[in-house]
Amino acid sequence: MIKFLKKTGLQDVIALIVILVGIIVIMSLSSNLFLSPRNITNLLIDSTTVGIIAVFSTMLMIGGGLDLSVASTAALCGVIIGVFQASLGIFPAVLIALAAGAIVGLVNGILVTYVGINPLITTLGMFSIARGLAFVFSNGLTIPVFDLSGEHQAAYDRFTILSEGSFLGLPYPVIAMLLLFALGVTVLHLSSYGRAMYAIGGNELASKMAALPVKRYRVTAYVLSGISAAIAAIFLTSRLYAADPRAAPGVELTVITAVILGGTSLAGGKGNLVGTFLGVMILSALLNGLRLQSTSTDLQNIIQGLVLLAAVGFEQVRTGNVNLDIRKMFSK
Amino acid sequence: MKNRFLIVVLVALMAVTVGFAQTYRIGFANLSEDIAFTQLVREGMQRKAAEMGNIELILADNKLDGAIALSNTENFITQGVDGIIHFQTDQAFGNVIMARARKAGIPVIAIDIPMPGAVFFGADNYFAGQLAGEALAAWVNANWDGSADAMLVLELPQSGPIPAARMQGMIEGFQANVNTALAEDSIIRLDSKNTQEESFRVVSDTLPSIPNAKKIVAITINDGTGQGVIAAAEAAGRRDQIIVVGQGADPTGLAAIATEDSRYLGSTGYFPENYGDKLLEAMVDMLEGKAVPPSIYVDHVFISKDNICDFYADDFQDFCKK
Repeated sequence: MIKFLKKTGLQDVIALIVILVGIIVIMSLSSNLFLSPRNITNLLIDSTTVGIIAVFSTMLMIGGGLDLSVASTAALCGVIIGVFQASLGIFPAVLIALAAGAIVGLVNGILVTYVGINPLITTLGMFSIARGLAFVFSNGLTIPVFDLSGEHQAAYDRFTILSEGSFLGLPYPVIAMLLLFALGVTVLHLSSYGRAMYAIGGNELASKMAALPVKRYRVTAYVLSGISAAIAAIFLTSRLYAADPRAAPGVELTVITAVILGGTSLAGGKGNLVGTFLGVMILSALLNGLRLQSTSTDLQNIIQGLVLLAAVGFEQVRTGNVNLDIRKMFSK
Repeated sequence: MKNRFLIVVLVALMAVTVGFAQTYRIGFANLSEDIAFTQLVREGMQRKAAEMGNIELILADNKLDGAIALSNTENFITQGVDGIIHFQTDQAFGNVIMARARKAGIPVIAIDIPMPGAVFFGADNYFAGQLAGEALAAWVNANWDGSADAMLVLELPQSGPIPAARMQGMIEGFQANVNTALAEDSIIRLDSKNTQEESFRVVSDTLPSIPNAKKIVAITINDGTGQGVIAAAEAAGRRDQIIVVGQGADPTGLAAIATEDSRYLGSTGYFPENYGDKLLEAMVDMLEGKAVPPSIYVDHVFISKDNICDFYADDFQDFCKK
C-alpha cells in the first residue's frame, strides 16, 4: 500500500491534506468564526491571487524554471488596465494587460533560454523593471478604475462582476482559480507539453537528445507565467476598483512557498498541481486563522518564513540531498 | 435598617448598571506595523480600550496595501464588529472599503486618509505643515542670514491631497517667513514613498545634482524620511549643509531632535500615542447615537530642542537635565 502511495505521489498529497485538516481543526477550535461561510468565502477570495499565479509557476518550476517577477508583473498589468481604460474602454484595456503579461513572460523566457541568463537573476531584474514601469505609467499614483464619464457603465458593471459575482455560492475569482487549476492538471498530465515539462525539468540534456523543443517549451512556460500574473491583476483590479503600482507586495514569495510546500522540486522535474492547490489552501488557512485571532504581523511573517524553510528542508530531505545523520554532520 | 436596605438597593442597581454596560467590538486596522508612528497609534488604542473597559479591540495590519485593507474590512465584518477604525494607505481604495462597511451597516472612522462616508480623524495637515515651515524659516533667518540655496521636499504623492496639504503648509510657512524666499526652481520635489530607505535613496541621487547648494533646507512627510535625508547628507559628506524638519514627532524623530549637534531641527507633534483617546471616544459616541463632527483634528505643536522637555521629559531625562 505504502509502495503504491509513494509510486503514485499520493503519499505527499495525503500528508498535505492531513496538514490542512490539522490547521482547520486548530483554527476552528481557536475561533468559532473560522468555519463560518462568510469567513470561508473571505479565505478563498484571499487565496485567489496566489492561487492563480501558482498554477503556472508550478508548471514553470517543474520544467526547471523560476519566476520572481510575477507580483511586479501583476502590478504592471493592473496599472495598464488603469491607464488604458479611460481612452480605450475597460475590456480592450484588459486585453492589453493580458498581452503585457505575455510580453513580460516572453522577455523572461528569451533571456533565460536563448541568452542563457540564470532564471533567478533574469526574473529578479524583471521584478525591478516591471515594478518600475508600473510606477512610471501611473506616476506613482493609484488609478481609480470606474466609469468616470458615466457612458460605459454596463461594461464597468461587467468588469466589477468578475470579482463580486458568484455561482452556486462560489465567488467568480475562486471559480476562475479552480478552472485554471483544472486546466493546469489537464495540460500537465494529459498533453505532450505537460509530459515534456517533467522531462525537461528532470533531465534537460536527455530531453534535448530526445529532440524535445526544450527552449520553445521553456519560453512558453514563462509566457504562461506572465499571463497568469495578468489574470490575477484583472481580478485584483476588479475587486479594488483601482490599479495600484504597489499591488501584490511579496506575493512572489507566497507563490513559491505554496508551490514548494505542494511538493514541486526547486530543481525541477517533480511536482503536481493538486499539491500546489493544497499548499495555497494551507497558507491561506494559516494566515486567515492567525488574522482572526489578531496575531501580530511579525508573527505572521515569521510563520510564513518558517513554512517556506520547512517546505524546502522537507523537500531536500525527501530528495536525499541532505543527510540528517547528526554524527556524520559533525564528523570530519 | 432602612439605610442599610437603601445601600443594598443602590449597590445592586450599580451592579446591574455595570452588568448591562454596553460592550463594543471595534476593529482597528493599522496602516502598517513597521512604522514607529503607527505602532504608537496602536499602543494608544490598546491602552485606551483597556481604560474604557467596555471595548473589545480587534487588531489588523493593512500593510500599506489596498487589497489587504479590503480583506481586513471583510474579516472585521465576519467577526461582527460594531465599528471600524481604518488607517489605510490610499484614497482610491476608500470607495470599495466603504461600500462593504455600508452594506454591513458598520460605522467607520478613517485616520489621515479620508474615505467617503467615514468620519475623518487626523492631522490638521496644512496647519501642522505651516508650524514646521515657520520654525524652519526662523532657524534659517537666525543661522543662514535669512536665505537658503535649495529646498528638498520629501513628499508622498500616492496618498492624495491630504498629506499634500501638509507639504504645502510647510513650503508656504517657510516661504512666507524666511527673509529671502526661494525661487520655484530651487524647490526639488522627491517621492519619499513614506520610508526612510527610499528617502535616503532619492536624496543620495539628488545631492550630486546640486553641488553648489551649501544651504539646503529639507521638509519631510514624517520623521523616518527626515532621518533618511540626514543619513544621505552625511554619506555625501554634506551634513553641515542641510537642516531638516519633519512631521510626526515619533520616537525616532524625538531621539534625533534630542541628539547633540542634530541636523533635525524639529517635527510637528501629532501625538500618535493619544490618537486612541479621541478615536475610541468618538467611535463609542457614534455607536451610542451621539453627534460626532465629520472631521476630528489632532492638536499640533512643533517639537524642537526648546520644548521637547515640556512634553517628553521622562523619555529624555539626560537631555532634559542639561
